[in-house]
Amino acid sequence: MIGIYVHVPFCNNKCIYCAFASFVADKREQQKYFDHLCREIENCDFLDREVASIYFGGGTPSVVDTEHIIKVMTTIKQHFNILPKAEITIECNPCSTDKEKLKAYKQMGFNRISFGVQSLDDDMLKFLGRRHDRCMALEKIKLAKSEGFDNISADLILGLKKGDVVHDAQVLIESGVKHISAYMLQIESGTPLEKMLKNKEAEIKTDDETVDNYQNLVEFLQKNGLKRYEISNFALKGYQSKHNKAYWTGRAYLGFGLGAHSFDGDKTRVANPSNFEDYYAGKKMIEKLTDAERDEEIIMLGLRCEVGFDINQLKKNILSNPKFQQYLKSGILQKEGKIVKLNPDFYGVSNTIIENLI
Amino acid sequence: MNKNIRNFCIIAHIDHGKSTLADRLMEQTNSVAKRDMQAQLLDSMELEREKGITIKLTPTRMNYNLNGTDYVLNLIDTPGHVDFTYEVSRSLAACEGAILIVDASQGVEAQTLANAYLALDANLEILPVINKIDLPSARIDDAKEEIERVIGLPADDAPCISAKEGTNIDKVLEKIVTCFPPPKGDENAPLKCLIFDSFYDNFKGAVCLIRVFDGTVKAGDQILFMQTGRKYDVTEVGIFNPKMQPKDELSAGEVGYIAASIKNVSDVHVGDTITHVNRQTKQALPGYKVVQPVVFCGVFAVDGSRYNELKEALLKLKLNDASLQFSPEVSQALGFGFRCGFLGLLHLEIITERIEREFNIDIITTAPSVSYKVLKTNGETLEISNPTSLPSPVEIDKIFEPMVAASIFTPPSYVGPIMQLCQDKRGTYKNMTYLDANRVRLEYLLPLGEIIYDFFDRLKSVTKGYASFDYELAGFEPSKLVKLDILLNGEKCDALSLIVHEDSAFVRGRAIAEKLKKIIPRQLFEVPIQAAIGNKIIARETISALRKDVLAKCYGGDVTRKRKLLEKQKEGKKRMRQIGSVEIPSEAFLSILKLDDEQ
Repeated sequence: MIGIYVHVPFCNNKCIYCAFASFVADKREQQKYFDHLCREIENCDFLDREVASIYFGGGTPSVVDTEHIIKVMTTIKQHFNILPKAEITIECNPCSTDKEKLKAYKQMGFNRISFGVQSLDDDMLKFLGRRHDRCMALEKIKLAKSEGFDNISADLILGLKKGDVVHDAQVLIESGVKHISAYMLQIESGTPLEKMLKNKEAEIKTDDETVDNYQNLVEFLQKNGLKRYEISNFALKGYQSKHNKAYWTGRAYLGFGLGAHSFDGDKTRVANPSNFEDYYAGKKMIEKLTDAERDEEIIMLGLRCEVGFDINQLKKNILSNPKFQQYLKSGILQKEGKIVKLNPDFYGVSNTIIENLI
Repeated sequence: MNKNIRNFCIIAHIDHGKSTLADRLMEQTNSVAKRDMQAQLLDSMELEREKGITIKLTPTRMNYNLNGTDYVLNLIDTPGHVDFTYEVSRSLAACEGAILIVDASQGVEAQTLANAYLALDANLEILPVINKIDLPSARIDDAKEEIERVIGLPADDAPCISAKEGTNIDKVLEKIVTCFPPPKGDENAPLKCLIFDSFYDNFKGAVCLIRVFDGTVKAGDQILFMQTGRKYDVTEVGIFNPKMQPKDELSAGEVGYIAASIKNVSDVHVGDTITHVNRQTKQALPGYKVVQPVVFCGVFAVDGSRYNELKEALLKLKLNDASLQFSPEVSQALGFGFRCGFLGLLHLEIITERIEREFNIDIITTAPSVSYKVLKTNGETLEISNPTSLPSPVEIDKIFEPMVAASIFTPPSYVGPIMQLCQDKRGTYKNMTYLDANRVRLEYLLPLGEIIYDFFDRLKSVTKGYASFDYELAGFEPSKLVKLDILLNGEKCDALSLIVHEDSAFVRGRAIAEKLKKIIPRQLFEVPIQAAIGNKIIARETISALRKDVLAKCYGGDVTRKRKLLEKQKEGKKRMRQIGSVEIPSEAFLSILKLDDEQ
């Protein structure tokens, strides 16, 4: 069983915090891109595998003409064995989502929509460079529901100077959202946001305020039945993202498109180039993980998830690491049998802890 | 005995143009080809040139013809810093004359006077030279007047030169011959040589820089170092031209070098007298002393596993620097390292910089300390140069700290701030002399421990750099000193302990705690920082717990990027030291010395 990721690197405009491979492109370029992407799928080495999840991410998959999405989906279906219960997600931007597109997505088998809501504060949405407002976001969620989508996720950003993320979550849950991803705003180098902050033209919350924000949100979501199953992901029972969990638990996945990543479930990671030229030239970056590197991944990913990791999965003996013992003693890590988890109180500082264990 | 030899040195306050004049003299006597000229030839070490100071001495032999007579001029360089006063006095002892340079725009400064006194003590003929006459701010007459009044030397005939532009250098050369007496001495008497410096040569071993006073020395001679009692066979003698040039022999009046397969420079003591084993001179030259380090600090590799490399580096540096002392030290906080002794702060700075630059080892140095004498209640006497070895207060009867006699030259408008500073530094006022309307000489007795703290920086800032400063050691005095400990998360951090005066302990403790709060990054737990004397907490700050250190999502399954980010972050923390449960950056250990920066 594998997961499939399809990258759609196009957007109507670039948001100020975005450092992902995404571009504003014309129709011809888009055509060329998806033609190549379909050939990439056809030529893949793992055809006919059983597929448990498919995820169209971006960029903004909803901005491109639906025919491209149909074509890619059709190609996938032709070459892989999609399991009947497969989770099939498409990321949508409220402003580029409409009834026709939703109908088409539904018809093609998509059963999960992930909306890039980010905030329900209009000033903040404008600040981030998003093209939708609160009203439109809620309207599109409603529309998706009426088109038969039950599994709807929304992304929220933590750390914005204004707005109330708890209130936003409440409104989203009331409007039928079953899954929330809440990410702390990360200042990526080279982004307009980085420059604005440096020049003091913009302001965001301090680290402490952001963490307070996060903790309030966690508390509210848990109270409302959305369990935290990863540092930044919360879901009602039965609505956890299968696809994302594949990344975190070390299952195999295939990535198609610009900058997409694949993993064989063992020791090989392959990355597509994140510039078009190299991508079209068919270049791939292949990384053979050492035992130590794979151990690092297991620890790093496991400690971000509610399920933790199994020490038997590791090649090294983590029990002999004095830091590990120190963390166990102080309650930062929790160990039940062979399973090790991070005490949720320390999710905010997970890096510091993981660093000391790898 | 060659009456046409002149042995001389150049003395000056820092930046008054000593090395530039030396370069010009060599240029005019064709002692060095133009193409080999490199600004300030004598300061050969990269660091020396950068800091504008001379650390290792390099004598040079020049040939000069005046009115048809050939002369040999031996220029013996002197180190230009207070840390090396004894070395200066020994190189002066090798000369008959000294050129005293005074910057025409600056006039007489603290080191001008200190060096002039050293030269007078050594009975040298002094030739004043006014330099930098090309500067618009040059006050030639004022400078001459200051020399006459402050030092008491006639300066009417002093050559006025611009070493930079090469103006009137010939006058200086002429004066060297006419002013300075030729060496006295008897080449047939038993051998008597003064060692005024040494350096390490990979092939020749430790090479002695010498001045022959009596007798003749040549390869094959059996020689005796009179103070240390060591005996060697001479393998080579020679002169500096300015590179080493072997000669058949060196005789009375000459300056040069002796190589004798001496294993290391520690066996060669500056100030020692060399004579022949079989025909010894009756009396050794006066003034010999063993130079003791006065400033101490711990030196540790940032990466603890590089202890052995650090040891190698120190051994190599010591090859060429007998005054550097070190012994292994174990710190709970910093692991294995070395307690090093230096002649002064500059010496400390030079050595630590060379370890980092030439040996590429990142090091942590702990706060410099002086050496205290401790009289214990049981009558025992200890010398303590490491705060951690100070006995507990109940075992101490008295502590004595090293003092210095300091002399500060300043324009009168800064007298007030300087007196305030000296008072803050527990100084005792000794004297004040008006040299002229623009210059005052202040004399204070100050604890050395206060000088190595932040005295230079503060003097510079209260006088906008217009004051100059010089000092000499002046014995020990009893003082009310206490050990100030720093506790991180309740655990004493030995590498941060300091010995301070009782009266300033509270202020220092609070300032250190505040500074550490700024420097130590937040940890998983709240970290209290406490300053304590014995069991008494005198200051407390708290570093609140780290709240946020988390990566964003791994987009599209890009796990590698995330792992690399974490690895990079982990790498960045290698400069951190773990003290108990607290990680502290290596800068923290020295930063506690620079508390005034941010106040």
